[in-house]
Order: sequence, then structure tokens, then C-alpha cells
Amino acid sequence: MPLISLDDDDNTLGMLRESANALAERIDGAQVMRSRRAGKSDLDRSVWTAMAEAGWLGLLLPEELGGLQLGSRELVVLCESLGRGLLTEPYVQLAVFSGALLMGADHGANTSALAGGLVDGSRIVTTLWQTERGARAELKATEKDGEVLLNGCAGLVSAAQSASDYLVLAQSDGDSVLVHLPADTGGIGVSLRASVDDAQLGSVDLDGCSVPSGNVLARGHKVETALVRAIETNRLAIAAELAGIASKALEATVDYTRERIQFGKPIASFQAIQHRLVDMWSDAEFACSAVTDATEKLGEPDSAAASQAVLAAKARAGDAAIGITRRAIQLHGAMGFTDECDIGLYMKRAINLNATLGQPEELRLQYLATERAA
Amino acid sequence: MQQQDWNALSDDEFRGIFREWVDANCPSHLRFMRKQRPVFDEVAEWYHALAEKGWLSPVWPQEHGGMGLDAAKHIVYVEEWARLGCPRIPDHGIGLTGPLLIEFGTDEQKANFLPKILSGEHVWCQGYSEPNAGSDLASLRTSAVSDGDDYIVNGQKIWTTLAHCANWILLLVRTTKDDNKRQNGITVMLVDMTTPGVVVRPIANLRGEADFCEVFFENVRVPAKNVVGAVDQGWALAKSVLGHERIFLGAPSRPEYALKRLEMLAEDRGAFDDPAFRSRYARLLLDLNDLGSAFEKFAKILREGGQLGAEVSVLKIFCSELYQRITEETLAVAGEEARYYDDLPVGDNEVDAMNLYLDSRAPTIFGGSNEIQRNILAKAVLRLP
Ligand SMILES: Cc1cc2nc3c(=O)[nH]c(=O)nc-3n(C[C@H](O)[C@H](O)[C@H](O)COP(=O)(O)OP(=O)(O)OC[C@H]3O[C@@H](n4cnc5c(N)ncnc54)[C@H](O)[C@@H]3O)c2cc1C
Repeated sequence: MPLISLDDDDNTLGMLRESANALAERIDGAQVMRSRRAGKSDLDRSVWTAMAEAGWLGLLLPEELGGLQLGSRELVVLCESLGRGLLTEPYVQLAVFSGALLMGADHGANTSALAGGLVDGSRIVTTLWQTERGARAELKATEKDGEVLLNGCAGLVSAAQSASDYLVLAQSDGDSVLVHLPADTGGIGVSLRASVDDAQLGSVDLDGCSVPSGNVLARGHKVETALVRAIETNRLAIAAELAGIASKALEATVDYTRERIQFGKPIASFQAIQHRLVDMWSDAEFACSAVTDATEKLGEPDSAAASQAVLAAKARAGDAAIGITRRAIQLHGAMGFTDECDIGLYMKRAINLNATLGQPEELRLQYLATERAA
Repeated sequence: MQQQDWNALSDDEFRGIFREWVDANCPSHLRFMRKQRPVFDEVAEWYHALAEKGWLSPVWPQEHGGMGLDAAKHIVYVEEWARLGCPRIPDHGIGLTGPLLIEFGTDEQKANFLPKILSGEHVWCQGYSEPNAGSDLASLRTSAVSDGDDYIVNGQKIWTTLAHCANWILLLVRTTKDDNKRQNGITVMLVDMTTPGVVVRPIANLRGEADFCEVFFENVRVPAKNVVGAVDQGWALAKSVLGHERIFLGAPSRPEYALKRLEMLAEDRGAFDDPAFRSRYARLLLDLNDLGSAFEKFAKILREGGQLGAEVSVLKIFCSELYQRITEETLAVAGEEARYYDDLPVGDNEVDAMNLYLDSRAPTIFGGSNEIQRNILAKAVLRLP
């Protein structure tokens, strides 16, 4: 079945893939989703700890921040495996997004401590920067007398309840600041709404939260640059995860339709079904090549081309994962409409990821806008 | 209960009378329920109100306590029901067991079972599908073996909607094995689900609701007098009850409701400012209108006393796929909010975008999957080799 295929002379990617697959074997991702839903939880600690132990939480972080200092190639291979294995903890939001912001911050003691905790799993670091509808949140930082007061409302926050620390992207006198806000600070109100992939998305209200001015981790241009990078890296990671979901859902459906007998034959022997499966395979194939292309371009000097390729890859992989999982459910018959059958969970995960940081149409329009501007 | 001859009224007159009473009597908290398949207790007051009025059962003849509506009036009934957002009631007794007994049942069966459907004492479910008999229903294996005055039933049914709140099941069983023609040897029987040996296990669906079930039968004793029609001849019986009701598999109410929700969300989120969205929305709107026209074409056949041909499958295919396209567009309009499972706030209201999206996955599967409907059209309408 289709895979993201990158040159791998020293087999680092192969090894990473193996270790990710081993973890996915050990952890029943579908069962984790169901119990997370039952417990209305926003993070499964045991899976998170396993990810920390595997070293994945610091995959991209530089060694000086306790990370493995690996790059996009390793990231996409890992995320593809997470997608295939239905390991749905908010890896991209916490490890990749918050991680990217910390990488772009001043590497002082505060940043190092946060990064260290993020990497070893002792801290859950999530970012407040969006509204409940996905726009950039208007969070206000007021700096005076050695303290920073934070006010405003953020939404779509992963692990909002489980978080030990928030990174707050705020405006201070017209200047962007990245502020570290420990979750036990007074004035924080968290409310949760269920997400389609059986976790919770938080809305976080900041009502005059006060932290020392040393908690400003970065300001100005640095913050915006880090944000752009974080978004781009996240989109790539999500595209890879979507490609993994697409390919795995296809595989599961091929297996199911080969085994399911109706009218005395495997249903996969009916041409109506064969053609559908071939189309699904082709979609997965294209998704994997688009992600491969974006990953390779990120290793080349032309950053504009790479950015465009990332947009294209996420759009392509999103459409593929959504379209494949939908058809997969149909081909599973009533079984596909149950919660017991994992295929529905792949669809739900695909919906969440596809909607995260831009749905396909929006990304394609961004692609076109960049193209026309050039 | 003496009823008037509804069919003597014009459709519009009937529509007016029906609408007025339903609007005044269907409890408002039951209108436009989020749940597609409420259990009996949730809608009992509405069920009983209809029964008392004599309007629970639109097509049964009046001598059996129905309204005796012809197909044209039945369509009006269904349309108004949907328009006013009345909840679906557990209707397998009214729509399935009742008509079957009225056509094929003994006098004793009619006298015994029909009144209990109307009173709500018997709540029915449909036990056709099995783990290995879905699209290929004729391969069903749940067996019934004659034993004195009884049959002994063993086997398993699955996907039985609302079995967990039903106390009677209309069962298709195998009484004779005929490898040459599997449609032979199937029998319809009425089974009391409180009989020892019947076990029901609900199955959660994609929306986390347990509205269908597995039903297990282990040496379940069923009196032979509960067989409907002739033994071994149940296949034709089971297939015949659908009749003109096949038109309702293509009734536009689900896509219509979903399109309203899309409109509400799109208006609130400013999507109508986007020409690309406007164009897609216009297509969906016209698709819905055209589904209405196609539905009307088939309704006219019924109104003129005709029979529906295999062509009617086209409504089910178009309707269920349109429903999906609308809910897919709704998630597109939701943008990043498509990540939420919970309903989306829209002014003082809410739009259940994900609920509808997930719900819309089912109608292309049940009632004869869309692939099977296409097979039927290919053979029976286009006469393809
Ligand atoms: C919400 C819901 C409620 C239901 N309620 C009831 C109920 O109350 N009572 C009851 O008895 N049943 C019920 N069913 C079962 C329903 O009738 C079956 O799901 C349906 O008959 C399909 O069977 P299956 O699920 O076993 O799928 P399968 O028959 O295994 O089909 C799997 C896939 O293969 C396709 N396929 C099968 N054969 C062919 C072919 N020859 N050519 C091309 N494609 C083919 C199908 O279209 C489908 O996409 C319900 C189902 C659902 C989803």
C-alpha cells in the first residue's frame, strides 16, 4: 500500500518507522480513543509517556534544548506511522507546534526548562493563539512593574485541561510576545467541547493572569517568524498523518472486502467495488507523493517553493483521507456504521486533521495566491 | 373508532386538517429531535396521542383501526409529518408487521396482534439481516425446526434497529435448506422477545447511540401459529410488503433539513459572501428541488392508481447521496470548527453539523445499499446483459 518514500541511505527512517509501528502494535489506538471519549479526557497519559520514552516529543528540538535535532524527513515518517496506527494524542499540537515556538524563542533558562519538560513528558505545553473558530486570537499582554498581565480568550486548545503550561501568543503595545503561563496561575478558566476524534478542545479564558516579566520568551519579529514556521511544520506533519490514515484505511478496506462473502463470493470480486478500491488506492498514492515532494522541497534552498508544496500536500492528503475513509465506511456496510469497527475512528480522526490549520480549498487558494503574487 | 373517508377529500383539504391537528398536538419538545431513532418511551406521549386520534396507522384499512389512506394521501401524511418536525416513532409494527398481517395473516393473528400495535403494548423490530446475510439476504441461516406445535429457533440477527426497546420481532428464518434456490425455504414468524433464549445486545453506532442491536436465539420456542403465510414461502411475503412505500426511501426530508442547517451556518459564518460557496450552495439547492420534482413524478403514478416500477430506486440513490453532499459541504463551511463533535453555536441556536454528517453515512447502506440499488437499475431498468 502507498507509503511516503524518501531516500534513506543509512536506514534512520526505516528504524524510526519500525519503532513507531512497534508502539502502534503495543497500544490499541482505537481503544484509547474510545476510553478517552468515555472519560471526556483530552490526553491519554500512558500513550503520551510512551511517546516521550521513545524520544518523539523532542524529535525536532535542538540538542541544546534536550531534543533529537532531527528534521522534516523524520517528522513525516513518524507522523505517517501515527496516522496508520491511529495514535491520536495531540502530538502535532504539543510536540511540533509548541516545540517550534520554543525553538524560535530566546533560549534562556525558562525556555530550556519548558523544552526539557516537553521532551521528557513531565510537562504538557500547549499554545493559546486561536479563537474558537480558528482565527488568530486577540490576546492582550500588559507589561508593567516587572509583571505581565494576560487577558483574552483562546479556543481550539489541545490538552487544555491536562496542560501544565501554556504558551500565550499575545499582543503587547502592538508588538507580538510569546509568554509562558503556568497552568496553576490564577485567573485561568478552561471549558471543554468534545472533538470529533474523541478528545476535547478547550476554550481558555485569561482574566488578568499575572506572570513575572521573565516569562516573556520572545518578542516581535521573532515571534511571528516562529509562528509561521510552527504552522508550516504542523501542516506538513498533519499531511503525513493524513496520508498514513488514507493508506491504512484503504488497506483495511481491501482486507475486509476480500474476506466478506456475499452472494457466494468475496465482495471485492464485484467490479463496482474493485473500481472504487482502485480509485481509493490512487488517491492514497497521490497523497503520499505530495507529502514526499513537500518534504524533499523543505530540504532545498527555495523556501517559497517548499511552502507552496506544504500547502498542496496538506490539501491533497486531506481530500484523500476524507474521501477514502468515507468510501471505506460504505464498503464495510452496516459494520462501518458502528463504533466497534475501527474504520469509523479513522474517518473521525481524518475529519479533525483535515480541518486543522486550513481545509483543502482554503489551502489551495493560498497556494494560488502565492503563485500569482510571484 | 369511526373515521371519515379521507380519500374522498382533496389532497389539500386533507393536508389542512392533518396539519392543523398535528401541529396542535405533537409536543414541541419532540419536534426536530436530534436523535434519528428515539426509543419508545421517549416518544410514547406522541404515539398514544396519535393512537387515540386514530391516526397512528395511515395505510391500514379503517376496519383494523387505520386511516385507510391511499398512496396519495399517505404521501401528504408523510410530507406534513416531516415538515412539522415530528419525531420518528418506533414504526416497525405500523409499517411492517401490520401490513404483512393484514395481507397474509390469519383472522386470529389480526385480531390478536393489530390492536396491540395500536395500543403500544407490542413494540416491533425487524429481524432480517444476519452477520453473513446483509445485501445477500437470501443466504440467511437462522433456523426454525418443527417440534410438535412449536418451532425451535436457533441463530443470530444483527443490525436490528431498536431491538432493545422492542418486545416482538418479525423474524425471517430458514425452515428448509434448498441449495439450488436459496429464496426457497424461508419463513416469516412472529416472535415474542421475552421468550427464554432470546438475548439482545445493543451496538453503538458512529454517533455513539445504541440504536441497533444483535439478537441471539438459542432454542427459542415459537408456537407454529405464529408463522405468517405458508411455511417456506416467506421470501415473497417479506419482499411484497414494501410496495408503494419504496417511494419514501427517497423522500427529501433529510436533505431538506440538512440544507436548512447548512444555510443557517453559512449565513452566520458569512459563507454567502464567497462566490465559490454560493455556486456550490445553488447546486445543492437545485438538486434538492429536482429531487422534489422526481419524487413528484413517482407520486403522480401512485396518485393515478399505478404501481411503482424498479425505477423508483433512483430516488433513494439520489436522496441519500445528496444528503451526504450537503453534510459534507456543511463541514467545509465549518472550517476549523469541523474539528468539534459538539453542535456549533449559531446565534441563539445550534447547528448539529457533525451529527448530520455522521448520520448521513447510514442511508446509503440501509434499505438496500446504493450499490445494490444500482445493480437493480442496471438489470431491471436498463436491462443490461
Ligand atoms: C442504520 C442501519 C439500520 C439497520 N436496521 C436494520 C433492521 O432494523 N433490520 C434488519 O434486518 N437490517 C437492518 N440493517 C441492515 C441493512 O439492511 C444492511 O446493512 C444492508 O442490507 C447491507 O448489508 P451489510 O451491512 O451486511 O453489507 P454487505 O452486504 O456486506 O455489503 C458491504 C458493501 O458491499 C457492497 N455490495 C454487496 N454486494 C454487492 C454487489 N453484488 N455489487 C456491488 N456491491 C455490493 C454493499 O453495497 C456495501 O457497500 C440496518 C443497517 C443500518 C446501517
